[in-house]
Amino acid sequence: MLLESVEYVRPATVEEALEALRSTEGAAPLAGGQSLVNVLKNRVAAVELLVDISALEELRTIDADGGALEIGACVTYDELDRSPDVRAAHPMLADVAGHIEDQQIRNRGTIGGNCCLSDPTNNLPPLLIALGATMNVEGAAGLRQVPADEFFKGYFMTAVEPGEILRSISIPALPGDAGVGYNTLAVAYDAKAIVRAAAMIQGNGEIADARVVLAVVGPVPIRHAGMEEALRGAPATAETADQAAEAIGDDIEPMSDTHGSAEYRRQVARVVARRAVTEAIARGGESQ
Amino acid sequence: MSDAGTVHPIRVTINGEAYERTVESRQLLVHFIRDTLALKGTHIGCDTGNCGACTIIVNGKLIKSCMMLAVQADGAEVETVESLAEDGELNPIQKAFHAEHGLQCGYCTPGLLMSATYLLRNNPNPSEEEILRGIRGNICRCTGYVNVVRAVQVAAGAEPTAGAASREEAAR
Amino acid sequence: MSAEAVRRRAGSRPERDPEAMSAATRAETVTAPSETTEELGRWSGKSVRRTEDGRLLKGQGKFADDHWVHRQGFAQFVRSPHAHAKIVSIDTSKAMSLDGVFTVLTGEEAKEMCEVPFFQIAPEPGGKLQEWPLAVDKVRYHGDAVAVVLAETRELARDAAELVEVEYEPLEAIVDGVAAAESGAPVLHEEIGSNVAWQGTYDYGDIDWALENADHVVKIDRLHFHRFSSTPLECNAAVVDWDPGTGVVEVFSNNQMPMFGSMVIGPTLGVPSNKLIFSSQDIGGAFGIKIGSYPQLAALALLSKKAGRPAKWAESRSEHMLSAGHGNERSFVDIEVPVQSDGTILGFKVKAFDNAGAYLHYEPLGAVIWSQVTPGCYRMKHIRVDFTQTLTNKCPTIPNRGYSRLQHLWMIERIVDIVAQELDFDPVELRRRNYVQPEDYPYETPNRCVYDSGDLPRSLELALEAIDAPKWLERQRELGTGSGKRIGIGIGSTLDSGTNNFGQARIVNPELPFSGNGEAAYVKLDLYGEVNVNIGTTPQGQSHETTAAQVVADILNMDHGDVNVTAGFDQRHNTYVAFSGTYASQFAVTGLGAVMGAARKLRDEIITLAAYALEADEDEIVLENGACHVRDDPERAIPFIGLANMALSNNAVLTPELRERISLNCRYVYTPPFDVPDAETKTGNITLTYASQIHAAVVEIDEETGKLEILDYVAVDDCGRVINPQIVEGQVHGATALGIGAALYEAFDYDPSGQLQQSSFYEYHALTAPDMPMIKYADIESPSPFTPNGAKGMGEGGGAPLSTICSAIQDALGDRDAVVSDSHNPWWRIHELLRSGENGGPRGVEVSSR
Repeated sequence: MLLESVEYVRPATVEEALEALRSTEGAAPLAGGQSLVNVLKNRVAAVELLVDISALEELRTIDADGGALEIGACVTYDELDRSPDVRAAHPMLADVAGHIEDQQIRNRGTIGGNCCLSDPTNNLPPLLIALGATMNVEGAAGLRQVPADEFFKGYFMTAVEPGEILRSISIPALPGDAGVGYNTLAVAYDAKAIVRAAAMIQGNGEIADARVVLAVVGPVPIRHAGMEEALRGAPATAETADQAAEAIGDDIEPMSDTHGSAEYRRQVARVVARRAVTEAIARGGESQ
Repeated sequence: MSDAGTVHPIRVTINGEAYERTVESRQLLVHFIRDTLALKGTHIGCDTGNCGACTIIVNGKLIKSCMMLAVQADGAEVETVESLAEDGELNPIQKAFHAEHGLQCGYCTPGLLMSATYLLRNNPNPSEEEILRGIRGNICRCTGYVNVVRAVQVAAGAEPTAGAASREEAAR
Repeated sequence: MSAEAVRRRAGSRPERDPEAMSAATRAETVTAPSETTEELGRWSGKSVRRTEDGRLLKGQGKFADDHWVHRQGFAQFVRSPHAHAKIVSIDTSKAMSLDGVFTVLTGEEAKEMCEVPFFQIAPEPGGKLQEWPLAVDKVRYHGDAVAVVLAETRELARDAAELVEVEYEPLEAIVDGVAAAESGAPVLHEEIGSNVAWQGTYDYGDIDWALENADHVVKIDRLHFHRFSSTPLECNAAVVDWDPGTGVVEVFSNNQMPMFGSMVIGPTLGVPSNKLIFSSQDIGGAFGIKIGSYPQLAALALLSKKAGRPAKWAESRSEHMLSAGHGNERSFVDIEVPVQSDGTILGFKVKAFDNAGAYLHYEPLGAVIWSQVTPGCYRMKHIRVDFTQTLTNKCPTIPNRGYSRLQHLWMIERIVDIVAQELDFDPVELRRRNYVQPEDYPYETPNRCVYDSGDLPRSLELALEAIDAPKWLERQRELGTGSGKRIGIGIGSTLDSGTNNFGQARIVNPELPFSGNGEAAYVKLDLYGEVNVNIGTTPQGQSHETTAAQVVADILNMDHGDVNVTAGFDQRHNTYVAFSGTYASQFAVTGLGAVMGAARKLRDEIITLAAYALEADEDEIVLENGACHVRDDPERAIPFIGLANMALSNNAVLTPELRERISLNCRYVYTPPFDVPDAETKTGNITLTYASQIHAAVVEIDEETGKLEILDYVAVDDCGRVINPQIVEGQVHGATALGIGAALYEAFDYDPSGQLQQSSFYEYHALTAPDMPMIKYADIESPSPFTPNGAKGMGEGGGAPLSTICSAIQDALGDRDAVVSDSHNPWWRIHELLRSGENGGPRGVEVSSR
């Protein structure tokens, strides 16, 4: 598996990186490379210039502020897993990052890359949507903020325009009465996801707010309005989660592949969503 | 900023030795190591970053060298399987693989040894689960992993997981 | 050959007493036995650490892609994106115009350079199939090679391959192995006239009588054994150099059966065997798949000839998955099983459709090899198998660990579990009742194969003890409904038949002049008294260097570390026979048989020479640690170097008789005691040894998702005398892992248009460490009465994990509505099985009772 001829540049600053990205139409940012290098090997993308942003210190910081986090796009999964700040503020993010594929990939793969590839099976996008994250996108016109649930546009498509990069991801502090759940049915241990769900449930005794995100049921992770609606105002119990999951039905149009038909994914989405919500309720309860 | 281009001079230290070469941007680090430098202990098993046969340590981090460009290793300190033996003597991890029959065809072995090295450097007393997770990125088609896990346990000074009815002492 | 004949023949060897051996059969040992080491010597039976490890652990192995030669070019194949299409035209001009491209070879050109198409094993009409090194006129599967490029660098070769312009005219594809046999299906090879590669009926006992007279008949509509591969971690690779001066074609590769490769491609290339030189050193796993690289090796030879420089090739993983060969996919249709009320299973009747893919590589041998284990582990007497092998627009099959037997054994294990479920038998009891019993050995099967030894009931008992079956049965009852979890206990009983009688090829094609088997070895005392060994085998992790040294050291009574076994195979200096290679679970018998024979010859020469040198009688000479001395007189001694000196560089001191007799260079060819099978009745002894694998598993299934977790797993192995317990255990671990992987994760699927859905380890999930249970292992030693050392071939296993996992799923379902009918059970399929009742789908099983 060998790449096509390509130019490569390693900018010293984000500004230089943006400049390089604007210099030619076929420019692409290279972060951890754990997906992009495979794309290049398959010769399916017309990339003429690789702009290596993986070593830019500006993109490799984790700032914690009273439970809120701002995570640079080039922070690796392993760094998320091992960061005391991430563990303290958003332990679920650390756990999920620590179960992405394997150690080698976790040492190179980045939070920004996981999002910008917009592969529907990726681990972090549904969680970031559930956590209410904001994606900070930088381009010639400066920095713009895109809510995570508007960031993912389609298979391998995001809100990042040519000439822009994802600079960092802001995750608000978890409200005191909130809990987070995450559940995946994967092909095998830490392997490709068949269906995933992430949930944030807020409320003491009664659910005040619910964010339920399903993934691998379409091109991008989706918040399930019906299930969220069924949860809001209901008692924070496993039974509620069970009933609310029934809202998932023909409204989702999952893909069919060798790991499961659309109908199987639809049925399992209910299970996985319920489990994520149940976990979120339980964790919320624990944190009280 | 470095100059954009399809070829680049790089300087990389591998197993303590410095190499200066000019590489194509598109050359994968594993091909640089194997083809350009003829260090053939690092293997290729899948081309897609799944199998881990090309696992090495770059600047202290365990990585798959087929998922990194050679030019990205400019300035890096690299460790490959060839760094493990000391004066031709197997190191304790290699000895444990030998004692526990943690290899058969030996093709995945260099990658597994590097993963075990990294794991034990960062976690000298791993649990069985931590070992399984630590070598998840290395596919082995011969051993079924059982003896690999035992080898890492032995290298860590722990009792290997039982399961074998016959565990005779080494004849040599 | 009848069981009696086998017994007589075994008994005719002076060093083995058949009575003692059969007594030993029942003297089982669960731990590595120390008594066998006394019989076999100091080293055999011990877990001697491996000689191979030193270089492999230091990254100093030499694998095929590690080999580089002067002036080499890099080869890249151009492969078809279509499953079935006419090749309208190939334009290589753009590729050739690229700077650094040496040449491009197309299928048409390759054919022009060949003498004849590849040799076919099949009789006509299947045997009319014409295959050339590259596709000509037509492509027949997604991945079929149409051209090959040679260029200065790997990258450039790929660039150029993409510039080769091939115009295709797509044709309708056929991927289903059953439908392919029907008239009206698109035909792959017009010269055959249909897609039927081979068809024949194996009819033993009287199945019609049994079906008429049995208390019950269980009918099963369809069982399906899926396509997968052991995907060795090292892909195919080679450097092929056609020397224009001498005409010698050197093939440094990782092909695992070079003599077969040589016999197929030599006539095609028009190169005699003295000029077609195979070699290899370390091979990164093969599992049968690396028998199948010969078409590419032939293409590379022609490429080298055309370019006038060596052609180096390293297959990519996606190329490997597309075209290196898959294991056989088999559908079993219209199964009928006569069963008595006491649980005796009388036999079965089945139509088997084996899907061989687009060309016949080693096939149709798969159409007979299953019959080595016709009744599986059971005393079934009445069996009829209508076997059809079809050609389809899928990747050609190639032997894959457990080749052709695991499909058949899986079907039998499914039959046993389904019979148990339908007729309310305990699956454990049903197996016990029907197993071949310890006192039955040597046991003659309905097709006159002879099971050499074993103790299946005891193996089963050990397996059930190891997983603590009663505890899990209790848990199963406690769980009940409503927990969302199901527990299942499964058993798999399989055989690993080793040391083929190639005479079985005559059962598929009576015209073939093949029979028997064998392996060759040299054991020498070299210039400085070193003991040097080489063998005709091509190991891929099976530790031949270590075990050969063990047995030689035993025979010469020396330290095994002082025995040097050549690493790798080189046709120039290794000895070999036509059967040489490493495949089909036979090294412990054929390879070590050859090594033992050669070592004994050398021992005899050493004794003769030492007796002469020490002026003693031959029976007074004692060999010890690389020297000889006179019994009770250790001062009268001569070291091996002294003997080597006398024979090799000082031979005027010898008598003329000794000069004539002694070479210290001893070759032995081991040949198993086979007769030619009867092609008409399809009977005869077609395998020498039968190792058994009794596996048991406890699984937990999540009802809501179908996800399965293995809670406990044990493998009980019996491969006769064990030469090195640790190595045997390692082989069992590996075979178990590949089987579990295939049962749950690994499958090659094609869409109806013939597009392969898995072309990397992303889609084809090769099981990883956390997917694999830390399995338990126990063994029994039932020595084979038919082999020189009591050992049996092992390593392939019989695919027991596939049977075991399916059995456990069936048990967990605990429901007659659901029948596990596919060997591959990913979560979605288990989920579907759990809902079989509510879906009201056809369960495909019917019972009629008298």
